[in-house]
Amino acid sequence: MTPKTKTKTKAKTEPSLSKDEYLRMYTQMVRIRNFEDNANQLYLSAKMPGLTHMYSGEEAVAVGICEALKDTDRITSTHRGHGHCVAKGANFNEMFCELLGKKEGYCRGKGGSMHIADQSHGNLGANAIVGGSMGMATGSALRAKLLGKDDVTVCFFGDGATAQGLLYEVMNMAALWHLPVIYACENNGYSEYTKTEEIAAGSITARAEAFGIEAFKVDGQDVLAVNELSRKLVERCRNNEGPFFIELKTYRYHGHHVGDINREYYRSKQEEADWKDNRDPIIRFRGWLVEQGLATEDEIEALNDQIKEDAKKAVAYAEAAPYPDTSEVDMHVYAETDPATLRVGG
Amino acid sequence: MPLDVIMPALGMAQDTGVILTWHKSPGDPVSEGDALFEVETDKAAMEVEAQGSGYLTDVTAAAGDEVPVGKVLARISETPEGGGTTPDTSDDQPKKSVGSEDQTDSAIPEGEEVIMPALGMTQDVGLIVAWRKSPGDAVSAADILFEVETDKSVVEVQAGHDGFVAALLAEEGEEAPVGDVIAIISREKPEAPVSRSQRERKAPTTAPPAPSTTKRPAPAPKGSLRPAKPAPSSDSRILASPKARRLALERGLDLSLLAEQGHPQPYHVKDLEVLENLPKAIAPQGSAMTASRCISAEVSSDGFEAFAAWAAKETGLADASALLAAFAGTSLGRENTIVALEAFGETRLYKVRGRRLGNLTEADSDTTPDVRLRDLRFGHLSSIQVGPEDTPVISILTTGTGLKLTLECTAEQMNASTAINLLSDFAGRMEQPLRHLL
Amino acid sequence: MREITLSQAVNEALVEEMRRDPTTFILGEDVAEAGTPFKVLSGLVEEFGTERVIDTPISEPGFLGIAVGAAMTGARPIVDLMFGDFIYLVMDQLCNQAAKQQYMSGGKLSVPMVVRTNLGATRRSGAQHSQSLHALVAHIPGLKVAMPSSAYEAKGLMKTAIRDNNPVVIFEDKLMYQDKAPVPEEEYLIPFGEAKIKREGTDITLIGTSSMVQVAEAAARILEAEGISAEVIDPRTIVPLDEKTLLESVRKTSRAIVIDEGHQNYGVTGEIASRLNEKAFYYLDAPVLRMGAMDVPVPFSPVLEDLTVPTPEGVAANARRLCAGEMIHAA
Repeated sequence: MTPKTKTKTKAKTEPSLSKDEYLRMYTQMVRIRNFEDNANQLYLSAKMPGLTHMYSGEEAVAVGICEALKDTDRITSTHRGHGHCVAKGANFNEMFCELLGKKEGYCRGKGGSMHIADQSHGNLGANAIVGGSMGMATGSALRAKLLGKDDVTVCFFGDGATAQGLLYEVMNMAALWHLPVIYACENNGYSEYTKTEEIAAGSITARAEAFGIEAFKVDGQDVLAVNELSRKLVERCRNNEGPFFIELKTYRYHGHHVGDINREYYRSKQEEADWKDNRDPIIRFRGWLVEQGLATEDEIEALNDQIKEDAKKAVAYAEAAPYPDTSEVDMHVYAETDPATLRVGG
Repeated sequence: MPLDVIMPALGMAQDTGVILTWHKSPGDPVSEGDALFEVETDKAAMEVEAQGSGYLTDVTAAAGDEVPVGKVLARISETPEGGGTTPDTSDDQPKKSVGSEDQTDSAIPEGEEVIMPALGMTQDVGLIVAWRKSPGDAVSAADILFEVETDKSVVEVQAGHDGFVAALLAEEGEEAPVGDVIAIISREKPEAPVSRSQRERKAPTTAPPAPSTTKRPAPAPKGSLRPAKPAPSSDSRILASPKARRLALERGLDLSLLAEQGHPQPYHVKDLEVLENLPKAIAPQGSAMTASRCISAEVSSDGFEAFAAWAAKETGLADASALLAAFAGTSLGRENTIVALEAFGETRLYKVRGRRLGNLTEADSDTTPDVRLRDLRFGHLSSIQVGPEDTPVISILTTGTGLKLTLECTAEQMNASTAINLLSDFAGRMEQPLRHLL
Repeated sequence: MREITLSQAVNEALVEEMRRDPTTFILGEDVAEAGTPFKVLSGLVEEFGTERVIDTPISEPGFLGIAVGAAMTGARPIVDLMFGDFIYLVMDQLCNQAAKQQYMSGGKLSVPMVVRTNLGATRRSGAQHSQSLHALVAHIPGLKVAMPSSAYEAKGLMKTAIRDNNPVVIFEDKLMYQDKAPVPEEEYLIPFGEAKIKREGTDITLIGTSSMVQVAEAAARILEAEGISAEVIDPRTIVPLDEKTLLESVRKTSRAIVIDEGHQNYGVTGEIASRLNEKAFYYLDAPVLRMGAMDVPVPFSPVLEDLTVPTPEGVAANARRLCAGEMIHAA
């Protein structure tokens, strides 16, 4: 099934948010793209230990959703987690440091790309186990309900993760208990090196509907459509109408991971070119911004250059940053517990 | 500026890439994003793009070359002539190569190093079958420089660099370890090209580094004991529990005596009682067991005299002989020691506890002493050897310059190291009492 | 002092802690109205409501994962895993997620969660409902493991487990729920990493976990009549393990047997015996013995099942031979 024949949900073309909010959306998408380009380069120049997974092409998904969230809302991420991390408010310096295993990374270098977490902005972490964080997201939502908080949790996962049993267990419980969680399936057409059609039988949204969960489909390359839908669902979650399920159709430009360079055997170059040239979310949104008079081409170029510069500086910063001291290797295996609480009357 | 152009990482299983074609020539202007060259990967051809704008310069790899991932193979500079310095090659040797230039050997010319390449997973040396170039010859990177024999066939190896053969560091028919530098290619024609054999190399600065081991050192046995084996009586091992061995050592007991008796092994702590109660008359076989030991030491007497005076004044301990007993007792290194002190025709028994001088008490008259001290300082004897008695005996005599201490015992009463330690420690305490007190 | 059952003791601990901390809640199968099949949780839903005592579907990985997420974001869940055998089902969420969050985040995320489950065979429940799998979780850095041996320990350890900021797995012996023991009325907690000497002795140290403590005590009584004085120690938590108490005892007695209901191969007995060997080597007058459950799946037939777990007679027999200096295993 070629992408060209798909129809896309079109967003309302009249702006309903402020110019700042739109520019912020654009900025965040460009930041993600720049981050990924630099991370990819770090891998190719053999400076980054291990592997990482590029989010390039899917920016509108993370940004569209996270721009509908507050800082106190939570997300759980996947192995392809840089996009979510940036979109939920992370800084370049700490992110690059984490990818290089440096002390100033978000996880003191102990997590790396696949476990990057930024608790201060509600990012409960990337996860190397496919589907591994679905329980966590649902639990965060349960906690919100239990403690009477109004924060919402978004669970990002890919089409490949719909093959994990855990998804059905937690959707079942989320539906039974009306939890404020939004399951966001980033369907980029491929589960590692295999087309989604070959690993997911039937309809993805029908899976959620089977549990009585309202499910939506949206064009993942249209940041406005994603954002608009997300705002609605987040609001409804806060009103105790959750959970919800969104399937976002998107595309990853790179391979499954940075070393997956020769991938013509599972994906044609033409298909990749089509998504890049005709359906790029950043170019598309840029066009809309200019068309709506919200920004000029020059302003956008300037913004692009600034972000590119920021990213380069952050890479240099991270490369020069120190590694954790070797004494940290056996720290943080266990969390501290205040001894005063472990006594009678504590 | 200038920007290094490297062979990029190509895929999880690939360490090198073969350059198929260059899309730009040295000196050409390039813009960011232009295709610079194509690399062959195990599946297809991949274009490598310029990461900046400028001019392509300092190209060190040609089409057909196999270049390791991460190695700099060109530069993008501000001018067509390049930055003027050659790309830093000293730290991007392929991982297998550890050939550091032999800095101390001025006979080897400068240039690019050619190493014995890795030939297969199990091979760590290669036999040079033939050199196809001679010292001084011009060579381009793609030329075959030499042939190597592997366990399967003969392999042709390219020079890898343009220039001149400045040195050949191994001869035909010689083996060189993988990773060793075997030739040097210089940019300029060498004035004195070098040709020599592997044997002439200096100390192995180029040997592949031993893999750094981060093994933890084996934990040292706790405690101050070094568990020496009991003196072997024959060549068979004695089986005994760790505790039994330790206690035997502490008490100066010899487990092999039990073994000789045919006492069934393995030995446990309760078997030590049996050992201690073995009649002394056993071992009439004339083996080394019946030997007696006689060890002497000479020390100055000042230390002890001064100490005795101090002790009398400061602690009211007027009985100097008690001090002697304490020194002797603590030198045996046991928890409790009974010392019999013979002086001026009298014998007194003391109990010394542990190592500290203060724990000295009179012992009951029916206790068996562990060691007997014979204080003969105020007599005229200058040396003594009367043979072993029923307990180890230390005699203290006066010599012209100080004191002479003589320990006599049977081999059964004390093994050699116990006897030596006893007298050494005692002599040390007598020589410098305060030091031992502290 | 009053005596209550282990079941009542656990119940009291949960009630006290749930009253103390409103962020605690229980989730698991049949925990609410039913109070679990073992009836340990009777009365809790009446006091705390269905919001804090949550019946789940039969989705162990799911609800354990949910507990992890709740714990990471500010609540303190207590997961009821009906049978210890189901630990296999939750291993990814427990060992890949819960155990590692603190470390992978460089100390920023923590998982203050308790998993309440059980162990113990001889209940004629067959191979898949009779396993003692605490060694599996003890092996994973980041988890703590508590093993109460009586009502007294069950209450004190449960309270500490709930207050500890780490994922703790508590294994109760399912055969002991109706066993009574003296339990103070006043509040008390038992710290982790503190073993208890249950009986003093001089000739041999018997270290037992969970119900094996009672087995060791019974063996000690048998030996006493024969003039052998056995010291019985209950580690109470195997992670963290109170090595100091164990080593002091072995230095005194110079002999030890470790008794545990997990399989003998690659288990808790091997771990503890090994540590005693390393650190008390020169005090040993006999090899440290392991006595675990037989390395077979638990059989159904009572005649066979009872053979697979250590008994007081078995422990006493081994102790006798060690004290006599017999070599139990060929050199």
